[in-house]
Amino acid sequence: MKRTHWWGRVYLLAVFAVMYTPIVYLMYYSFNSGGTMHDFQSFTFKWYRDVLSDDRLLIIVLNTIVIALLSAAVATILGVIGALAIYYVKRQRTKNALLALNNVLIVSPDVIIGASFLLLFTIAGIKLGFTSVLLSHIAFSVPIVVLMVLPKLEEMSPTLIDAARDLGAGPWQVLSGVVLPFLAPSIWAGFFMALTYSLDDFAVTFFVTGNGFSTLSVEIYSRARQGISLSINALSTLLFLFTMLLVIGYYVLSQKGGRMYGIGGRK
Amino acid sequence: MKRLVQGFAAVFIAAFVLMFITHRLNEAEGYGGGKTVTVYNWGDYIDPALIREFEKETGWKVIYQTFDSNEAMMAKIAQGGATFDVAVPSDYAISKMIEEKLLLPLDHRKLPNLRYIEPRFLNLPFDPHNRYSVPYFWGTVGIVYNREMFGGKRMTSWNDLWDPSLRNQILLVDGAREVMGMALNSLGYSLNDTNKAHLQEAKRKLDRLMPNVKAIVGDEIKLLLANEEAAVGVVWSGDAAEIIAENDKLDYVVPKEGSNLWFDNMVIPKTAKNIEGAHAFINFMLDPKHAAQNAEYVGYSTPNRAALRYLPKDIAGDRRFYPDLDSAGHLEVYENLGKHMLAYYNELFLEFKMQQK
Repeated sequence: MKRTHWWGRVYLLAVFAVMYTPIVYLMYYSFNSGGTMHDFQSFTFKWYRDVLSDDRLLIIVLNTIVIALLSAAVATILGVIGALAIYYVKRQRTKNALLALNNVLIVSPDVIIGASFLLLFTIAGIKLGFTSVLLSHIAFSVPIVVLMVLPKLEEMSPTLIDAARDLGAGPWQVLSGVVLPFLAPSIWAGFFMALTYSLDDFAVTFFVTGNGFSTLSVEIYSRARQGISLSINALSTLLFLFTMLLVIGYYVLSQKGGRMYGIGGRK
Repeated sequence: MKRLVQGFAAVFIAAFVLMFITHRLNEAEGYGGGKTVTVYNWGDYIDPALIREFEKETGWKVIYQTFDSNEAMMAKIAQGGATFDVAVPSDYAISKMIEEKLLLPLDHRKLPNLRYIEPRFLNLPFDPHNRYSVPYFWGTVGIVYNREMFGGKRMTSWNDLWDPSLRNQILLVDGAREVMGMALNSLGYSLNDTNKAHLQEAKRKLDRLMPNVKAIVGDEIKLLLANEEAAVGVVWSGDAAEIIAENDKLDYVVPKEGSNLWFDNMVIPKTAKNIEGAHAFINFMLDPKHAAQNAEYVGYSTPNRAALRYLPKDIAGDRRFYPDLDSAGHLEVYENLGKHMLAYYNELFLEFKMQQK
């Protein structure tokens, strides 16, 4: 029997209102011909035209996506290897220590990670730009992937591996035929987490960009500092819609073709 | 496993295709091939049309990057990992950068347009003989006030800020030199004063201002004042011009006791790769027509004497932003007071900020 109290719904509505009102407000004024975030004058697509005709912005958007895809993919591979390594550590104390080291990277402030990367790259003589941003994104994404994959590994029944061994599978076959397919949902979940972390990272990127290379969040920040241009609203609206599309796509995939991508579906 | 491999292969392929497209776009835009000038400037501090014109005229491509404080800019330049060919620091930052050897000397033969600059803006204490820097914009620090909210009275003096009717109505810009300087000026001292007794006195006077202070803020001061969130603000003249353009009930005044005269100058940092292009860019910006166009867009005051002719009368003739410098002899440039004195200024300012209202 399902019974929802009306105040439950009211609460839910209130929470969503608080979270979405600023976004809707921002989107609403992206159509304002007046050029300010108060006094709506008349409807215009001007700011959208501005954004879409800006080639530099297009390059930055592409940069952001490339960085996100590459860093998430590499971080996922490293993260899965790391999770396996932690899983196979025998001594409980060592295992906990490794896990703690992993978690420290997740909870430590982005600013500190960014600043330490800047120091590292300076000492190592790596030029700031694409490489430095990619490396730092990979680095802060790996712990997230580890954290997504490890619980699934712990959940895996050891008898599964024993059975595979019993049937004559070598180590590689066990890994590729049993362990990785079992982990697939969490691997993809880790990948998507890393993807979103990379897409919206500001603090770390801010420290390690340079030489004309920029990602969207850094660019939006520096444009927002310049004050009042509604093309930022237009850009944010487009970005929001894009993320919505991603979410919807993700949802549809996990509902229908989930098995194909190993997302959701099987539990 | 197969699906995983396929999935990841697809991700990598997508990434490389996108990278290729980006690369082609970069080339089409001319950013490849090293024919670029990287300009490192404050946000919204140049007319973008001028960048396009410079690119067309000279064939150099401009990579335009922005910073939001002198300190951030100096850190990036000192760090050295990135190429910047031209930067635009403020006066006190320039003397610091010269001390730390972060700047390359300018070749004046490549800057023929330097002759258009008003002579009194050359050879200033922060850079004698303009060996390293060329003025870009200048301005003052003053008071923006809302005539209606201030009862129709006119402000003329720093001491007007202490008026009890202004309770909780003042926004201050978050700068130690600006706020301390204002207090020193209101007492009739120089804003470069290094007498600790005078500084203490200024601090005590600031403490009495606290009931009137609504907030000490950064760039958002422009928006807050234009939206009439407060009646009075202490701001830089360029911000004031922008605020007044937004809301015509507001007025700007440089108080009669004196104020700060500041400069943002173009320099070539030691990270420059394209020295030739950097000189070309600086010279381009010094051209009177370009300087006028830039000043009209940005709203700050141009130091280019010849550019004034190209500016609309109501801008060039506006005494609030182009004060008569002969009568305005009370305007002072910040001197580099040395590390200790600066730390003392900061400490007093911090104490002022942290106190309970």
